[in-house]
Amino acid sequence: MIRIRLERRLERHWWQTVLTPTLSVLAAFAAGAIFLAIKGFDPITVYRELFKASFTSTYGITDSLTIAVPLILTGLAAAVVFRMNLFNIGAEGQLYLGAIFGSWAGLALTDGLPTILGVAVVLIAGAVGGALWAAPAAVFKAYFGTSEIISTLMLTFIALYLMRYLIFGSNSYWRDPESANFPQGKKIPTSARFELFSDTRLHWGLAFAIAIALLIWVLIRFTSLGFDMNVVGSSDSAARYAGIPVRRTVIIALLISGALGGLAGATEVAGRAYALDPNGLELGLGFTGIVVAALARYNPFAIILVATFLGGLRNAGVALQGLPGDRVPVEVSLMLQGAILLFAIGGEIFSHHRLSISRANPAVVT
Amino acid sequence: MSPAVEAGPGASPGQPAAIAAVNVTKRFPGVLATDAVDFCVWPGEVHTILGENGAGKSTLAAMLCGLYRPDEGHIERDGKQVRLRSPRDGLAYGIGMVHQHFRLVDRFTVAENVVLGDPHQARILDRRAIEERVAEIGEQFGLPIDPRAVISQLTVGQRQRVEIVKMLYRGADVLLLDEPTAVLTPPEVEALFTTVHSMTAEGKAIVFISHKLGEVMAVSDRVTVMRAGAVTGEVATADTNQRHLAELMVGHPVEIGTRRGSNIRADVALSATGVTVIDGDQTLVDNIDIEVHRGEIVGIAGVSGNGQRPLARALAGVITPTSGHVTVAGADVTGKGPKAARRAGLSFVPEDRLGTGLVPGLSLTDNMLLTRPRGFIVDRRSARAEIATAIDEYEIKTPGTEVQARNLSGGNSQKVLLARELAGLGDPGGPQAIIVSSPTRGLDIGAAEFVRGLLHDARERGAAVLIISEDLEEVRSLSDRIAVLYRGRIALEGATDELPFESIGLAMAGVAHEEAP
Ligand SMILES: Nc1ncnc2c1ncn2[C@@H]1O[C@H](COP(=O)(O)OP(=O)(O)OP(=O)(O)O)[C@@H](O)[C@H]1O
Ligand SMILES: [Mg+2]
Repeated sequence: MIRIRLERRLERHWWQTVLTPTLSVLAAFAAGAIFLAIKGFDPITVYRELFKASFTSTYGITDSLTIAVPLILTGLAAAVVFRMNLFNIGAEGQLYLGAIFGSWAGLALTDGLPTILGVAVVLIAGAVGGALWAAPAAVFKAYFGTSEIISTLMLTFIALYLMRYLIFGSNSYWRDPESANFPQGKKIPTSARFELFSDTRLHWGLAFAIAIALLIWVLIRFTSLGFDMNVVGSSDSAARYAGIPVRRTVIIALLISGALGGLAGATEVAGRAYALDPNGLELGLGFTGIVVAALARYNPFAIILVATFLGGLRNAGVALQGLPGDRVPVEVSLMLQGAILLFAIGGEIFSHHRLSISRANPAVVT
Repeated sequence: MSPAVEAGPGASPGQPAAIAAVNVTKRFPGVLATDAVDFCVWPGEVHTILGENGAGKSTLAAMLCGLYRPDEGHIERDGKQVRLRSPRDGLAYGIGMVHQHFRLVDRFTVAENVVLGDPHQARILDRRAIEERVAEIGEQFGLPIDPRAVISQLTVGQRQRVEIVKMLYRGADVLLLDEPTAVLTPPEVEALFTTVHSMTAEGKAIVFISHKLGEVMAVSDRVTVMRAGAVTGEVATADTNQRHLAELMVGHPVEIGTRRGSNIRADVALSATGVTVIDGDQTLVDNIDIEVHRGEIVGIAGVSGNGQRPLARALAGVITPTSGHVTVAGADVTGKGPKAARRAGLSFVPEDRLGTGLVPGLSLTDNMLLTRPRGFIVDRRSARAEIATAIDEYEIKTPGTEVQARNLSGGNSQKVLLARELAGLGDPGGPQAIIVSSPTRGLDIGAAEFVRGLLHDARERGAAVLIISEDLEEVRSLSDRIAVLYRGRIALEGATDELPFESIGLAMAGVAHEEAP
């Protein structure tokens, strides 16, 4: 048990950082191939189609990037706190709240505003919504030591039903009154929408998400708050000794995480759905963020790449439906994603073990 | 295969070494930690490894117990080559190590820690039996410990006892003790030596690492001296003396003198009045008054667990005293937190270095920043320059400034901490008052002398210094005044040179306190 921790390298070589996630992705695809073969599909064909659908055509690529936008943000939401051993697994719920707040702000406040301001209002409202949704978990964690894993998960369920209620269960402000039979969200004005890139579905939210990734990197690497977060994450006792306010830091970190989840919801509203659209939002984007963060080893820049990759995978699930012959289940892409997470976690442990074994000399027992 | 070394004084003819390292080399990135080292211990022998900080002592011991694997060379047990993949393998061969930094789970009890990870332990724990056995071992070897106590409530000295009991419980016949006495009081050291001798009488082999030459002479049969990863000499204790050992170790004679302040001012830079710390129904610190003048060093002596830790933490603002006041350079900092105390000019070197004073997972650069005021953006450039200077000045052995603190040897991490806390001495904005817990614990004699020089220098430059230590020699060598802490109170106080050694000892044991008029 001790051996995992010891003899760690002074620095991780860059190739090690890349190797584990790559291997876990490959292993996941191998596992997926076995599954596909059992179900009677030719894995090679399926995978080729999958990549063709997501990463070759302009449409495929832009669609993949469109899904990457919220994934970057939920990935960051997870990364910011997971690296401190704080496990906010409720980005999903924070995303819903971000969408609820964002769409309300879009409907109520942005009419007649210039686009840039309108979008900003939606995003800010979304961030506030997500942060508010993380707040109870943050406070309970800081003051009573309540497990944030459980509280954020519970809050996710509440958020889910709240969102459904607003559209399907009531004549709320969010619901389009014209949509009596097929309840839908009211569309936000164009002044609150991200502009699209020419005639694709990709919107400027991508640039925004990348900017936020940059910001989070700066936060963690260069600011005092990021420094405090590092210390609190690694040693409580050192934080107290240095006079770093442990509770406040924990709360702020969880609020930032919540705000990022909320932003993911707001970008979906401003860039894709233009309304509070439960059907379009319940994609598990928040949970996928955890996979993104783990695979990217909590590195903000890697998160952008991984989010694009997983976005493409998701995107392909739908495209596979178009294949001739037996229909490949949409769930293939979800299954691959789950397998990738499992292998990524396994790979992490594996890589530590390897570290300690790799320095062995080939001495033979006489 | 036979060991590469001839039988030593304690060995019977033809008997193989209990444990031997044959030509072992271990490299860490940027460091050659051990360089083709040969080393062996006979059954029934105490063999000391002596050497400067970072010489490779702990690394050698770690290879003997299976924690690290040699890059070259091999380990032999009873004359047979063994391949140890982990400390668990080591234990299976009866080799156990007590580390410089303890490896106990804070929230578990003593008994739980003792059996934790023991492969021979039954799946279902028979608590009572384990506790009885732990108490029994404790009694047998003079290591009294309450098996049900939770580790986090134990003093450093007590934790170490747990580590030793843990190894004995698992049947270790070769025991590696990495600087065990650094955390012990003189009576505890005596007790440990009794333990050690009762073990060697049973034929166990002991590897002992220490920087204290008096102890080395008292307890060991042989001494191996290491320098920069290589063995530079091996002598039988009977054929040497402290002075000679010191020379072997640092290459030149070392004088350990006593020093006193030459210019103690009238004004007080650190004071405690009526400081009391109550935790639950326990009074840990009981109405303590201390005044440390500029240009003065006051030493707090006492057996560990008599309130040193809560007192230091209350003075430094880490905890708020239940009652009483603390002032630093005239400013009342009571209960205002560590940052306020620092702003007023207080530096603090805590007892627990790696984990409290330093963050193990952060780089040396970031550790320099830990107690510095930081703006919105962290200024790593100046911190990097500062640690780089400290590496030269303190002769810190490290491959670089961006190495994690946990990778430094025990003494070198202490130097990093001291470098940070003593920085800016003599500057107007620098430390006015310094609280140091066991300043030279774990430092080699050269480095210890260097630090004593620093503290003396700090005093001469007008700082008020409070040394808290269980090591009476350490306290006496520097302090102008001494206060003895017993059960949270000051049992005896006076000028160092007017307090007889014996009465300090009695006060530490609580005798003087009971009989004081
Ligand atoms: N896990 C590690 N990773 C990298 N370098 C290490 C590691 N452990 C030790 N070192 C380096 O190897 C050298 C020898 O360290 P070691 O801990 O053996 O010294 P030591 O003789 O025990 O010193 P001390 O008296 O200070 O405890 C040091 O330069 C140290 O920085
Ligand atoms: Mg050491």
